[in-house]
Amino acid sequence: MMEKDDFVSSETRNSFYSRVFHGFLFNLRLILKNIKNKKRSTVIIIVGLVFSMSILFTSSIWTNTSQKIIADDYIETLDYEMFISTFLINAMDEVYEFVFYDPLVKQVDWIFPTVALFNYEDKGPFYRWYPEENQENMTNPLSLSSAFIVSSRSIDRIKLNLEIEGNATLNSGEILVSYTQAKQLEKVYNETISPGYVLNVAITRRIPNTDMGEHTMQCYDIEETSYENYTISGIYNYVGHNSIIERLVGGGVAGAGGIILDSILFPAEDMTGVDLFVMDSNGLLPRLLIKTNAQLLREGGITQMPDNLLALKERIEIRFYHSFCYILSQEIQTMADEYRRAFSATSLFLPTIASAIFLTVLSTQITIKRRREEIAFLRSRGAASSQIIGLFFGEFVLISSISLVLSIGFGILTSALIPSFGHGGFFSTTLFVRYFQYLEISPYEIEIFAVLVLGIYLGVTLINVISYVRKDIQESFLITRKGQQIVGLSMKIAAFALIIAGFVFLYLDYAAIAKQSYTFGFNLISASSKTLYAFIGVIFFGCYFTAIGINYLLKNIEGIYKRIFKRRNFFIFRNIKRSRKSLTDLTFFLVLMVCLLSSFIMIRSTTINNIKAEDAYRNGSDIRIQSILPVNISEYEEMIDSIPGIEKSLGFYSIIASIGYQNVEVFGINPTDYSNIGRWLDESFPDVNSDDALADLGANQTGIILSKYTSERLGFSVGRTMFVTDFRGGPFYMRFNVSAIINSAPGLGVAHGHDPKMNRITSEWALVNEELFTDLGVENGTLFLADVSDGADIEAISDQIKALNPLFIVNPDKINPDYIGYFITDYIPPITVILLIGAIFIDIIAIVYVVISTEFILEQRRREYAVLMALGGRQSNIRRQLVYEISLFVLVTIIVGIPLGIITTLMGLSFLKPLLMSQEVVTMTLHIDVVALIIMIVTLIIAAVLGIIPPIRKQMKYEIVHELRALT
Amino acid sequence: MSEKIISVENLTKTYVSKAEELTVLQGTSFDINRGDVICLLGISGSGKTTMLNIIAGLDAPTSGRVLYSGENIGEWTLDKLYDFRLREIGIIFQEFYLLEHLTALENVMTSMILAGKTENEAKERALELLEQVGLRRKAMNHPEELSSGEKQRVSIARAIANYPSILIADEPTGTLDSKNGDEIMNLLLDIAQKRQMTVIYTTHDPYITKLAKRVFLMQNGLVVENGQSSFDNIEFDETNFKYKFKGDKT
Repeated sequence: MMEKDDFVSSETRNSFYSRVFHGFLFNLRLILKNIKNKKRSTVIIIVGLVFSMSILFTSSIWTNTSQKIIADDYIETLDYEMFISTFLINAMDEVYEFVFYDPLVKQVDWIFPTVALFNYEDKGPFYRWYPEENQENMTNPLSLSSAFIVSSRSIDRIKLNLEIEGNATLNSGEILVSYTQAKQLEKVYNETISPGYVLNVAITRRIPNTDMGEHTMQCYDIEETSYENYTISGIYNYVGHNSIIERLVGGGVAGAGGIILDSILFPAEDMTGVDLFVMDSNGLLPRLLIKTNAQLLREGGITQMPDNLLALKERIEIRFYHSFCYILSQEIQTMADEYRRAFSATSLFLPTIASAIFLTVLSTQITIKRRREEIAFLRSRGAASSQIIGLFFGEFVLISSISLVLSIGFGILTSALIPSFGHGGFFSTTLFVRYFQYLEISPYEIEIFAVLVLGIYLGVTLINVISYVRKDIQESFLITRKGQQIVGLSMKIAAFALIIAGFVFLYLDYAAIAKQSYTFGFNLISASSKTLYAFIGVIFFGCYFTAIGINYLLKNIEGIYKRIFKRRNFFIFRNIKRSRKSLTDLTFFLVLMVCLLSSFIMIRSTTINNIKAEDAYRNGSDIRIQSILPVNISEYEEMIDSIPGIEKSLGFYSIIASIGYQNVEVFGINPTDYSNIGRWLDESFPDVNSDDALADLGANQTGIILSKYTSERLGFSVGRTMFVTDFRGGPFYMRFNVSAIINSAPGLGVAHGHDPKMNRITSEWALVNEELFTDLGVENGTLFLADVSDGADIEAISDQIKALNPLFIVNPDKINPDYIGYFITDYIPPITVILLIGAIFIDIIAIVYVVISTEFILEQRRREYAVLMALGGRQSNIRRQLVYEISLFVLVTIIVGIPLGIITTLMGLSFLKPLLMSQEVVTMTLHIDVVALIIMIVTLIIAAVLGIIPPIRKQMKYEIVHELRALT
Repeated sequence: MSEKIISVENLTKTYVSKAEELTVLQGTSFDINRGDVICLLGISGSGKTTMLNIIAGLDAPTSGRVLYSGENIGEWTLDKLYDFRLREIGIIFQEFYLLEHLTALENVMTSMILAGKTENEAKERALELLEQVGLRRKAMNHPEELSSGEKQRVSIARAIANYPSILIADEPTGTLDSKNGDEIMNLLLDIAQKRQMTVIYTTHDPYITKLAKRVFLMQNGLVVENGQSSFDNIEFDETNFKYKFKGDKT
């Protein structure tokens, strides 16, 4: 009995498993057969899914990968990220050891700042060298220079900020000399100093205190540190901005002191331990230069870098209470911020992504609709609802799997391809390969995006299949078709109202932040991004309701069709008016695409136009001259004015002072010249025009032009008396009379706020009459503007100006070449490229949609064409009529879509500026690139018409009899 | 002597598919005179519709030819064939094939618009035709709002709109009940008679043959005629599953 039971249960089990297995195989075969038979539909769905997912994957992979490369490359451009000093001299070795073993630290180098002496050999211990310009023997003078004793290894890092003539080496017996010091040596030795020149140098073991009367040679203590026959391996100029060396010793233009511009670099290996000990003991404190490990510094993401660096600083300062760590946190923070800004700007790609997903939804719906008959057939053969749904689900799993694999592949490829075209637009194999080397895929983000897109696809598939399979469900709704339409429309209106409300709320939030902001900070960028998300919803719904309006209009203008299409009007009008199989289904998506396409093109052209206008405004005039070192203004004005072709030049005297406890750069100018030479704009002054404002300043010797920010902060209105204090190297305070309030000025940029594209050292400036500077004894400045006569050769004039002084930079391509934004754009395409790529994608999506939808609608009309041809209708006429019908829709959507795009652009520009630029110097005004717009639209029309010709021809190829019989 | 309007000569039609070759017409020949009312009787699949399609220029024969007023329609250009279908032939389908997005009136106007009439001309005439077929009051109804009989009336009105010489009707009563079928046939033949049109219609119902002047039996891909028109002379051969004339031993 037991045996029989076992046998039965075993048989039952076997047969159950067997049934399941065979059922599975049967359904799998059916699924594969379905896919095989519906190759075209399957390909369309896969293309749609791959397109949508790969765009999302690209953004994810690109973000993750590029931030690694950006971080590594940026860190590589920095000499060091930190220097450490301590007032406990003996503790430095311990600090070195501690830092050396910190996992975040890659390299630690010593640096001794001291002084070097040249032509000292014949000077006795009591030789009076102070002041240097008036020393004891001016016919055979001593030459002094700052000296930095560094290891030969560290020169590899320091040289990143130097422009070196000769070799960038610092081996034993070699020194590197700055350009300025080399010029001084030429005067001292009366010989040309060039790389390879051999000389003697003394490194001081202490620095005399001139205040205490230490004015003689003996105070330098150079007996043991005199080095003979040293070769100048190279002559350098300091060209960096963001460097630890500059922060440590005082740098180039920004530091004003220009210590590094007048210095030498000496190999530490040539110093004895005793010398270094003596130098220590004499208060020449060594510092440690710290280079971090970029890979570890960017752990946790690029935005984590400032915090990681700060943590290292805190670790050291907690362990050694006597230490002080200076870090390049501001620079790294700026890099992280600019990276965030650049990536925030990529959110402008969102409408394209949304359109791609929308295309997938629409093509899925079309494919399922096509298979209604198949579902009905399966039902008639007794297939259970679950089995039919199971079949579609099986297809979903297979198609999704293929799409997922392809999308990841495409995502990886495009995420490497897009940045490989970089800023210049040319393909860079190196960058392409590097992207693969650094490839970073976040499984979490891939999963989220895949679930999002495939979830939408599955949802649309199942909802459609279930509604076809279980008609009884629909019928049980006890609601009429018209009722369903009303409910549907009401829901859409309600959703639109909610989106509008959300948009208004976010816009007001943005406007409130913008009102309080003088620069585009991250709160504003974040608010702008959020407003954009809601705005995308507004655009989608706006286009949807516009399309309803267009369709209503199209169905009620028969008189116009009669005039245009004559006798063909009969069929065209009735095809437009029909509720099913009508091309009116295309209206919404086409209006949306044209609207987005034209918006992208207009926002792009407006941005490009604005960048050009701002660059011209920043440049200031026909010619802009920047000097690396301050030069005598009046002297050079004369020289520049004497160059043929120059109408007039204007030098900017400058001095740092304080207004209301804030540092301000005060520029002394000739108001009349500035008014004539500068490229002034209407918005330069908020209340008056530039001519009047500058004339007022010229007429008022104690006049001052202040920024709007300062005037509001301190309550200074025009005519009010105010004080500027703490002129560096000048009087403690001076009284002025406010003559105008200014927003910005040509050549100087915004009056208040940090403009990273300018090379100013303060975030605030003021304008006064140049006579004031003469009174103060200030003669120098670093900026000139010049006006040239009509038709003058600016290139030739520039060359002549450069010949006046090798430290002059004329009409630079980039006023601040170290602006981190330029660095970022080598990895993340600038906003204009993102908008262009977005526009091209939208064009493609629109074309694909037109072709898919038209083919679907035409296929539904197959029997009608067969009937018309059976009645004597000509193929050519039917074909022409179809082309007219489709062209009508494309044209109408373009005619409506472009103005809608203009409205969208105007609305968008009111809150998108923080994503488009780092600073609005010149007010952004709408600029329509008509050529680009025409190219895009014509491309869309031609591609759409060319795309629909094959399906039309295919329709016409069917034999009438075959069609009539097949569709009976 | 009556004028020959259609001559069918050695017509064959073979459908070739992956699985098999199916010969529907096997070298059949016959003549149709102007004003004839011809009924093609045969069971389903006997080749009636294929024959009509070839005569109407909707399908091409495998071999043989169809002459219209002495001209081989197989040698015509596409444009001439369109004109032939548009102006010389009126077709009534078993499934009506009305365009669902058009009203009854617009469906009737269709063939006239295709023929180049203005909308006003077409509309005026379409209303007259609908009046003739008794559907004037339903002129603005869409096909889905009409009964099968009404749809067939619209189909008749559409077929005769361009004053064709030949009216071809493929199983015009196939989807109708006998009362409606009779009404439709009487209407069709009445109009044809008034306009002196040649009518060729097919049926699988011997009862319908009684309205024809000549009855052709479709047998084994051949057309057989014995000159008798009464359906009393036709019987169904259950052994060979086909219609035959009484006394015919083949």
